[in-house]
Amino acid sequence: MPRAMSSSERFVALTLAWAVAGAALAEDTSLGRAPPQKTSLESAPAHKTSLDQAPAHWLERMNEALTTRDYDGTFSHWHGGHVEMLRIIHRVQDGTVSERLASLDGSGREFIRTGASLTCYLPDKRTVLVEQRPPDESLVGFPALNDQTASFYDIREVTRTRLNRRDTHVITVSPKDQYRYGYRLWIDDSTAMPLKTQLCDARGHVIEQIVFASLTLSSHIPDSAFKPEVSTAGFTWLRNESAPPAPGAPTLAWNAMRLPPGFRMAARSAQTLPGSTDPVDHLVFTDGVASVSVFVEAQRREQADQPSVPESATVGSSSAFSTVIDGHKITAVGEVPPDTVRFIANQLAREPPSVGARRP
Amino acid sequence: MNEELDSQLSAMFDDELASEECELLARRLSRDEQLKARWGRYAVIGAAIRSERGVRLNAPLAGRVSAVILAEPALATGHGARRAGVRWWQPVAAAAVAVGVALVSVLWLRAQTPLAGAALSAHLSAPTATVPSAAVVPAAAAGAPDSYVVPRAPAVRAMAVPSIELANYVVAHSVFSSPVTRRNLLSAFMTSESGSSAEEPRDDAQSDVQ
Repeated sequence: MPRAMSSSERFVALTLAWAVAGAALAEDTSLGRAPPQKTSLESAPAHKTSLDQAPAHWLERMNEALTTRDYDGTFSHWHGGHVEMLRIIHRVQDGTVSERLASLDGSGREFIRTGASLTCYLPDKRTVLVEQRPPDESLVGFPALNDQTASFYDIREVTRTRLNRRDTHVITVSPKDQYRYGYRLWIDDSTAMPLKTQLCDARGHVIEQIVFASLTLSSHIPDSAFKPEVSTAGFTWLRNESAPPAPGAPTLAWNAMRLPPGFRMAARSAQTLPGSTDPVDHLVFTDGVASVSVFVEAQRREQADQPSVPESATVGSSSAFSTVIDGHKITAVGEVPPDTVRFIANQLAREPPSVGARRP
Repeated sequence: MNEELDSQLSAMFDDELASEECELLARRLSRDEQLKARWGRYAVIGAAIRSERGVRLNAPLAGRVSAVILAEPALATGHGARRAGVRWWQPVAAAAVAVGVALVSVLWLRAQTPLAGAALSAHLSAPTATVPSAAVVPAAAAGAPDSYVVPRAPAVRAMAVPSIELANYVVAHSVFSSPVTRRNLLSAFMTSESGSSAEEPRDDAQSDVQ
């Protein structure tokens, strides 16, 4: 009588399946062959300088590849004992970024970005969120790594190895304290695409992993690739239709009185979120690798009478923390440990607009 | 409590007890307060252990309990409750409540334990000591003792914000994440509350050397 596979057997089977699929696909796709068209990354001089080979430079190349290349890939996402397959399609055409991320099993959720429009399909909630960002807000505006980043992360190339028949550089980004997570990245030698990514806690334990089973660096991705497969009949559509406050409009100035070492404010904006008409102050803090968003919104009248109990949540390895300060709901979200978002949220205070965030 | 009963309780929680024994034990659960309390503790301990290993609570049992509760018209509607003796689903429903409590407890534990909040609070405060911060200097000037008890982290509950609201925050935040963390964040959001079990991946960089 056949017995059910244990979880370990299932994982081995899945791993083998991915490895076989990856190897097979690599034969047929650009992972296994030279891409049909030379790109700026591959047309770089063959003779590399020492700077080109620095571990931090590999991270910059990876970020550039992820944001500027056209690709279509399938990968597994592991977190907390659960694994799920997803597909990502990314294209930059005439300066407009299009991206589609879809869950291939499980929730069936999809996230589609076209330029400044972000649409999140949540079939399990029968809801679609549509957020329109200001057109001048760059989606690739993440700060580059700098010397200060190196003060809080130890960035090393620990080895070179082969993954799915591809030469990869294994780069580790290890936090020097407990305020942030670390990364272990398998970066493809010729394309700088991360074929495997592990997110690690301060002790180096893997808490989240992404591994590509197939990845095609395509020279042409049609518009149809960015159409959702979700049928939205009967869904509730939530949009941020209210215009954000004008730039010159008086707004409350919120700031973090203290921040974990290395974090600094990178952006702030006033916006409205889908389904809401109330303005939200959005502050972004980053250490060059991790980032934390803090949302500040006035408490609604019906909420004001309720006792304010801090709340926490997790989304994968990312953390969220919400509290109430001075009649305003403060929510911090970021890919950092729970205590880091809690610390930052609790440090929010109203200040004159001219005063910047003080760092310890 | 005798050892056999303890063993039966454990087996019931693990969904390994025969259905007829399960019904008998469920009846006993309805009238034995000590056994009820023990069930609650089992639920919490079991859930905590499963949470550490990334495995959810016993889904078949939880599913059966939910199905039983939903299938019971008196309980589902809240009207016309029949009091013709103790029915077997009542203690099971009580057990379901215990499982619910366990889940809440797990969420609370997860909120409290990942990085030892109190210890980290002390770490977070430490670097500020080198800065002439108003929050630090007066305490030192006042001759504060060299050692102090790290205050307990305030009570934190699992976020009760609607998931749509959390989705809004995640989507808005993703715009400002680095490319690789944005992909991680959105992937986690796509897969949250779904997926299948798998073992923890190996974390050594040599695991893929061919």
